[in-house]
Amino acid sequence: MEITSFNLLLAVLIIAPVVFGVVAYLSPDKLRSMSIILCSVIVAAAGIMITIKPNNTFELPGSEMIATILEVAIVGIILYIAMTIKNWLILLMSLAQLGMIVAEIILAQTGHTVTHSYDFATDPLTKILILITSIVGPIIAIYAIGYMKSHQEHAPPTAASLGQFFFFFIAFLGFMNGLVMANNLKWFSFFWEATTLCSYMLIGQDGGESRKNAERALLINTFGGLAMVAGVLWLTVENKTESFEGLLAAKAVIPMVLLCVAAFTKSALLPFQSWLLGAMIAPTPVSALLHSATMVKAGSYLVLRVTPGFHDSPKVMMVITIIGALTFAGAALLAVTQSNAKRVLAYSTISNLGLVVACAGIGTPLAYAAALAIICFHAISKGLLFLCVGRIEQKIGSRDIEDMGGILYRMPVTTSVALIGMMSMLLPPFGMLLSKWMAIESTIRSPLILVFIILGSALTVFFWSKWIGRIQTSSYHPKFNKESIDPAMGFSLITLALGVLLTGLGSMWIFKEFLAPITKEVFAGRTDISEELWSVFNAAGNFAAVTLFVAVGIAFLAYWLLVWRRFKETDVRLPFLCGENAESTVYTTSAFHNSEGIRSYAFRSMGDKIENSWSSTTYLKNFISEKKVTIWLNLIAWVIIIILLGEAHLL
Amino acid sequence: MIEKINITQWIIIAVSLVAAPFIGALIAGLDRKVTARMQGRKGPPVIQPFYDIIKLFSKQPVALHKLQILYAFLHLVFMMLVVVFLAMGQDLLMILFAHAFSTICLVLGGMSVRSPYSRIGSLRKIMQMLAYEPILILIIVAIYLQTDSFLAGSVMSMSKPMLWSMPLLFLSFLCAVAIKLNKSPFDVSTSHHAHQEIVKGITIEYAGPYLGIIEIAHFYETAILFFIIMMFWQTNLYIGFGLETLAFLAILILDNTFSRLTTTWMLKYMWSIPLFLSIANIIWLWSK
Repeated sequence: MEITSFNLLLAVLIIAPVVFGVVAYLSPDKLRSMSIILCSVIVAAAGIMITIKPNNTFELPGSEMIATILEVAIVGIILYIAMTIKNWLILLMSLAQLGMIVAEIILAQTGHTVTHSYDFATDPLTKILILITSIVGPIIAIYAIGYMKSHQEHAPPTAASLGQFFFFFIAFLGFMNGLVMANNLKWFSFFWEATTLCSYMLIGQDGGESRKNAERALLINTFGGLAMVAGVLWLTVENKTESFEGLLAAKAVIPMVLLCVAAFTKSALLPFQSWLLGAMIAPTPVSALLHSATMVKAGSYLVLRVTPGFHDSPKVMMVITIIGALTFAGAALLAVTQSNAKRVLAYSTISNLGLVVACAGIGTPLAYAAALAIICFHAISKGLLFLCVGRIEQKIGSRDIEDMGGILYRMPVTTSVALIGMMSMLLPPFGMLLSKWMAIESTIRSPLILVFIILGSALTVFFWSKWIGRIQTSSYHPKFNKESIDPAMGFSLITLALGVLLTGLGSMWIFKEFLAPITKEVFAGRTDISEELWSVFNAAGNFAAVTLFVAVGIAFLAYWLLVWRRFKETDVRLPFLCGENAESTVYTTSAFHNSEGIRSYAFRSMGDKIENSWSSTTYLKNFISEKKVTIWLNLIAWVIIIILLGEAHLL
Repeated sequence: MIEKINITQWIIIAVSLVAAPFIGALIAGLDRKVTARMQGRKGPPVIQPFYDIIKLFSKQPVALHKLQILYAFLHLVFMMLVVVFLAMGQDLLMILFAHAFSTICLVLGGMSVRSPYSRIGSLRKIMQMLAYEPILILIIVAIYLQTDSFLAGSVMSMSKPMLWSMPLLFLSFLCAVAIKLNKSPFDVSTSHHAHQEIVKGITIEYAGPYLGIIEIAHFYETAILFFIIMMFWQTNLYIGFGLETLAFLAILILDNTFSRLTTTWMLKYMWSIPLFLSIANIIWLWSK
């Protein structure tokens, strides 16, 4: 094995985070921050460098044995955890996993030959994921330095140490990088299980109640792991191959479906969504990491990796699409009913992952490009939003959206950044909207999916605009409050906000320069893609997104010229309250400032009595009950999963 | 794309940008006149909306805070962008998104102030969007199924009037238009009659020139909606005009015979009958 710069970068991306994790674990507080920052810089640099380099492959001598040992070790750890927490279901599934791995070893010993392929490789899809993991991930890690400082002050006594937290936090990035670069499924399974383990440890960070939720995450992800190992075993026995390359070449439907089921658990698609909702109990940086840079992206990556080879099995693809579309609309519906900010974010993630899977299932060039676009834009926006919510929560002591009125004045920087993040999820000219546009255009030939996606999009607009409306509600203030932010948190917020703005501005350019060529490469030589599909694909690339920017620019310019510069304090009026407004018209008094954030409007009613009123936001709780809808959605989703297994002739 | 626009197209864009608000204002004036006659009143002159706008712009600009006004500007500019896109024959879905963005700006403007009426009006406006948006998308789907293109210009390539292939969608679209124009029974977010329970609803906190901006945007929107109605008979513009007149009268009769109903009713109604009709139409087109 010769040492090339590619091999070196590969090693840095996978091993450096783990090594630095150990350093962070062992070192005292100050040194720990230093090592996290250093690791972030190194990983980000390596990630960018490996993306610039041409696609390459890498083979490790003796890799078969190393991967197997590592996999056995990690399943062993999960087994051990299952025994200590006395969860017999997890124990049983891990034992089954172990059994299958042993079966593979025995097969290899008894002369069952398997076509070998390279162990690690980079291709465009991999590179996109590496960029996300190694840029967004470290930014979140830096934020975590600041966040965990104040989190640990209020943490319950059951909480694990900061050292342990940061070990798993940073190592997660390395495992994720390994996962997306692995071509050999043995390595892939190892990294897959490693991310499961990391998420378990991170979700349970605070101990107590959070352990229960962590257990649920472990349970569901171990189920996925079981499906994955079963798929790999099947592939080894039946198709005599154990790499993605081989899987796609052999068009082995059964392993592909099993891998997809594993992907659904990790991406928290219906009916597996409960673990991601429970994971909200973890410190916010963990949620940010799980939702944007790692974990759930692993699932959508896997689906995008395996589906392009299976256009010969339209029924299987159709069922995968339906699961995705159902998740997209269902999770958006549930998000509408939530007033807990983190749960809204979680449902929104689930919903978007559903759309990615649906697009992957549709399998046309435009749909594939849309899926890639959603993964990219979602990672940045959602990472940013979690960081904002984490900060808002630490400041106002609540994660209820209804309590967030008036924060625009109290914490203008964080709120503005949060507004940018939210608007990027649904408004033009940001990338998410362009992706949704492509998704709708690509589903046009399948009415059922289309209806789901239309309803989902409408509901998405609903729950986001409710929230945006609440956090920007404010009275007039001549000057905004000065906001003091921890430097680490401030850095991450501003960097990600800039990222959202820049990728938003360049979304059409990103599509044309990166996503479209990648898609063309993936679909090159495919004869089943009709002219019409390609023409729709090309038409999408020709859309004059610049007009949207021009429009926004004109509006801002006119506003600045005509209003912003000329606006005088004497032009300010108080809201109409159908009686006499109890607030003084002199808005500079302290009484007026204090009223900001109080959940009421005060007005004078009969006899100068001051009455308080309050208008809440609509959550449709009267006719959508989260519990009932969840039960029904899960039921339907399980039926679809069973149909999926049936279509693959597994049942 | 921009560099491909020739001089005729620039002229078309400029003319439509100038003409649209005048057409919209005239429709609004006619609306008030005909409504008054239906109610046995004389009614204001047809050009009353122009007087209203002039008066609004001569008033002192007052507001609750600065952010609120930015949304009024965005609302207007994106409504104008819709006109530009239509004149250029651009992608229909993008036109729809620009239109939705424009409406959302109005909603966000209404929600940015600490006013209960404005907030409730805004929330109801979102519910209105939720009610009509799926139908608009389905119309685009229907057009795609017949022309294999998302471009607005492709409608002109159809040899038969759209109404022949999309009769049920046309009926649903009329409901959507009634919601968009805030006609009873759908006028939940704001109303032209100031006696409603949330007063002027979503626009209550806008005054003077800022309200004027929103009114102009509304004229643009009216013009856009009636242009789309006309497009249902794109092969003969005279018949299209007749269709438009009929639709106009139908909506006014609806407005004057019903009183305002609840948001929940609207949502349930729109997601059942018109949505069902639209889907039926789509399935019919799809199986053809």
